[in-house]
Amino acid sequence: MKRNFITLITAAVLIIIFVLLLFTFQVRYSEVAVVTTFGRITGAPREPGLHLRWPWPIQQVYKFDQRTQNFDDKFSENLTGDSITLLSSVYVGWRISDPAAFLNSFRNGSVAAAQSQLQSILTSAKSAVVGSNTLADFVNADTKQLRFDQIQNEIEQMVQDELQTNSYGIQVVFLGIKQLGLPESVTQAVFDRMKAERNILISQAQNEGQKEAIMIRANADRQANITLANARAEATRIEGEGVAEAAQTLRIFQQNPDLAVFLLRVNALQQSLNQKSTLIFDQRTPPFDLFQGIPTNMPGH
Amino acid sequence: MERNVQKHGLVNLAAALVIFLAAFGATLYVNSQAGQAASLFLGLGVLVAFASWFQMRLEENERLEKLEVEELARRRGETTLFESKDAEVFPAQRAREQFEKFFVPGFSVLLLLLEGGGAYLLWRWISQTTSGMAPERAMPALAFFGIFALVLFLVGRFSVTIARLEQHRLLRPGASFLLAGAYICFVTALGIAGVKTEFPRIDAYLARALCVLLGLMAAETFLTLLLEIYRPRVKGKVARPLYDSRLVGLLAQPESLFTTAAQALDYQFGFKVSETWFFQMLRRSLPVLFLAQLAALLLSTCVVFIDPGEQGVLEHFGRLAARPVLEPGGHLLWPWPIDKVRRYRTGQIQTFEVGYVPDAQSQAAKTLLWSVAHYTTEVNFLVGNRQPATLTNQTDNSRDQVKMAPIGLIDISIPIQYQITNVLDWAYQIANPTNLLKDVATHEVVRFLAGSDLNSVLSESRVEATRLLSERIQNDADRHRLGVKILFVGVQDLHPPVKVAGDYENVVAAEQERIATNNFAHADAIQTNALADAQAFADVNQAQAVRQQTELSAFARADLFTNQIAAYEAAPSVYRQRVYFQMFPEATANSRKYILLVTNTHDVVIFDLEDKIREDLLNLNVPTNSP
Repeated sequence: MKRNFITLITAAVLIIIFVLLLFTFQVRYSEVAVVTTFGRITGAPREPGLHLRWPWPIQQVYKFDQRTQNFDDKFSENLTGDSITLLSSVYVGWRISDPAAFLNSFRNGSVAAAQSQLQSILTSAKSAVVGSNTLADFVNADTKQLRFDQIQNEIEQMVQDELQTNSYGIQVVFLGIKQLGLPESVTQAVFDRMKAERNILISQAQNEGQKEAIMIRANADRQANITLANARAEATRIEGEGVAEAAQTLRIFQQNPDLAVFLLRVNALQQSLNQKSTLIFDQRTPPFDLFQGIPTNMPGH
Repeated sequence: MERNVQKHGLVNLAAALVIFLAAFGATLYVNSQAGQAASLFLGLGVLVAFASWFQMRLEENERLEKLEVEELARRRGETTLFESKDAEVFPAQRAREQFEKFFVPGFSVLLLLLEGGGAYLLWRWISQTTSGMAPERAMPALAFFGIFALVLFLVGRFSVTIARLEQHRLLRPGASFLLAGAYICFVTALGIAGVKTEFPRIDAYLARALCVLLGLMAAETFLTLLLEIYRPRVKGKVARPLYDSRLVGLLAQPESLFTTAAQALDYQFGFKVSETWFFQMLRRSLPVLFLAQLAALLLSTCVVFIDPGEQGVLEHFGRLAARPVLEPGGHLLWPWPIDKVRRYRTGQIQTFEVGYVPDAQSQAAKTLLWSVAHYTTEVNFLVGNRQPATLTNQTDNSRDQVKMAPIGLIDISIPIQYQITNVLDWAYQIANPTNLLKDVATHEVVRFLAGSDLNSVLSESRVEATRLLSERIQNDADRHRLGVKILFVGVQDLHPPVKVAGDYENVVAAEQERIATNNFAHADAIQTNALADAQAFADVNQAQAVRQQTELSAFARADLFTNQIAAYEAAPSVYRQRVYFQMFPEATANSRKYILLVTNTHDVVIFDLEDKIREDLLNLNVPTNSP
């Protein structure tokens, strides 16, 4: 009897749980639910909380996440307005703005299907916007020419227009460029150009270094020559002053000019003969005139 | 009665086949992984039910054949003829023996392959499949599997009960599969309900558990086949069919475990342990204990303990509770599924990376160089470049295109740390806030670099970059109501891509060369100027010395002359001669002198005054031999 009671209790609990599962449903705080009765949407979207329902197949409940959902676009290649291939991807935040329209637009309200559709719209819009801008609009050190934010807004606006036109029941909350890149071949070309720029700087540093070195040395030589020239001029002036000072003694020599001249001559002769020289004298030259009258071995004597 | 056995077997087979097909259809409808595994199990049950039913028929034919033979023998009174064991006399018996000898082992091998192969392939499929269950189809599928479980339970339970009779033993394999299939369908239904409520992964977990069960069944079948080779054949003893799985039997009738355990205990202890009050109480109370366990499990959901560094968000029937945020500590709540708590690591500092994927090798690196990749995966970001493009030796189109665009490439590694400050925003504003935060951070890095100059970013703009990125990421997070505070943006690695890093280093080397060349030139200039200064100083001093010498010499000569005047005036001619003759020998001491003592003034004397190369030798006085 006791065993049957337990069995009954267990069965009753299981049946109650099963019935509750069949006749009620919960909607989370972050969700909204759409109820269909025999395939037709009935009533307003259900807000968070506990709700009653008729079991399948009479009613069916579709729950949708009301939070903003974000997904990343494919990193895809497009041609810019100046015919440069640019890789780009964006991230998109979107939310279900009209659950009923969303359910009608996508089979069983599939979020994957919605994102697939959004991806298609996004690819088209991105391609159009990229094509109408140059690469310098995306990337530019001059911020005045940069159109990064405007480009984002243009893509977002095009996507938003498309979604509103076709009443998909979803809206884009935000959109931003997540990644920019170049194809491999173009990337290699950019590397080459960056290397070439570095080579310019290397050449500039090396050759300007040489130039500056030569200039420094030339400047030093000029400075040295000036210094020496000044010194020599100063030396000449000093020597001149000495000569001028010495010239004051000439008055003393003027007391006996004959003697003075004679002494000068003697001095000059002495200076002249100071070096090794060859002198040819005859017998009349003093003191060799003493040889006059001395017999020689010459013919006639 | 025997006819009934066949009928029951046929009913089992029909039930197994119908439920298998229906379950497979429902599985395809709802795309349940556990449903796939359950369908495979039910399919095996169909095969087993068919084999047992066929064996029942053979045994029935054998039994009828024996009756006929006995009847004939009784009529003719001759028994010798029919005592023969010849196959021609007992074809049905022979057929049954052949069936047991050849078909049953072959069928068991087939079962082994299906169980093992099915478990392996199913496991692989579960690992590779990405499509989940369709939630909107969950309720119909749940109802279907519930019905399947009920039907299989009723049929299986009845069959298992009557299979305890010796004549109905062949009902047991199929009945066990039916009853176990009922439980598996029930579990599958629970899994579907779990996916429908809050636990999307439970379907996959159940599918893996069923794969393990199939693998165990395969192992059991293999072991049974192996033991069959060494099993002693006792005449007259009926053997258990090879395809009758003990594991499936245990699964279908878990209470049989008690019987088996009781028998083992009785045998071991030598008295009826199974009849003691404790064992009987345990046996009676087991369902109650099981229910109590379930109740305890449910009650455990009424208490939640939030760990330090965490916050919980409490939902009551899906809505936010009056005080939704639960701080660390214990909290009471209504049992599942009325109240639900979600935990978030709000106190902990969380980190993600932009521009690279951290790996163990890079973490272990002691030195980071531009010319060596810092991480296995590094991303090249586009950046502005103010320097004019001056590539002139490139001809292909791609390079011409690049020439037009003032861009460069840069590698950047930025770890970003954040903390959840508003758990409600974090939980309810964005479906995947972590991913969005990463997207936002990457976006801001791309945006910043797109408007920056490469060389500026590499040098003086680093500090500005850190400040700007922190500010912008925080603003974006606030705008999207992510409920986080950006704690740290570490612009730690900012360098040109590895392929051009060497050229950047060469520029630095060239700059150093330039400085070195300048320094050498400056050193030379210093030397030149110093020597010039010294030479100038020497020249001036020399001039001053000359000046002094000139003056002193002049005054000395003047003094001398003054004295000479007196001597000269005393004896003018003598003085002159004396001066002359004093000077002459000294002055001509080093000169070569030729003195011509000639009388005839018309003679011509020729001197060879040419300088001699070897003056010393030529000057030697060579002795002559002339007489």
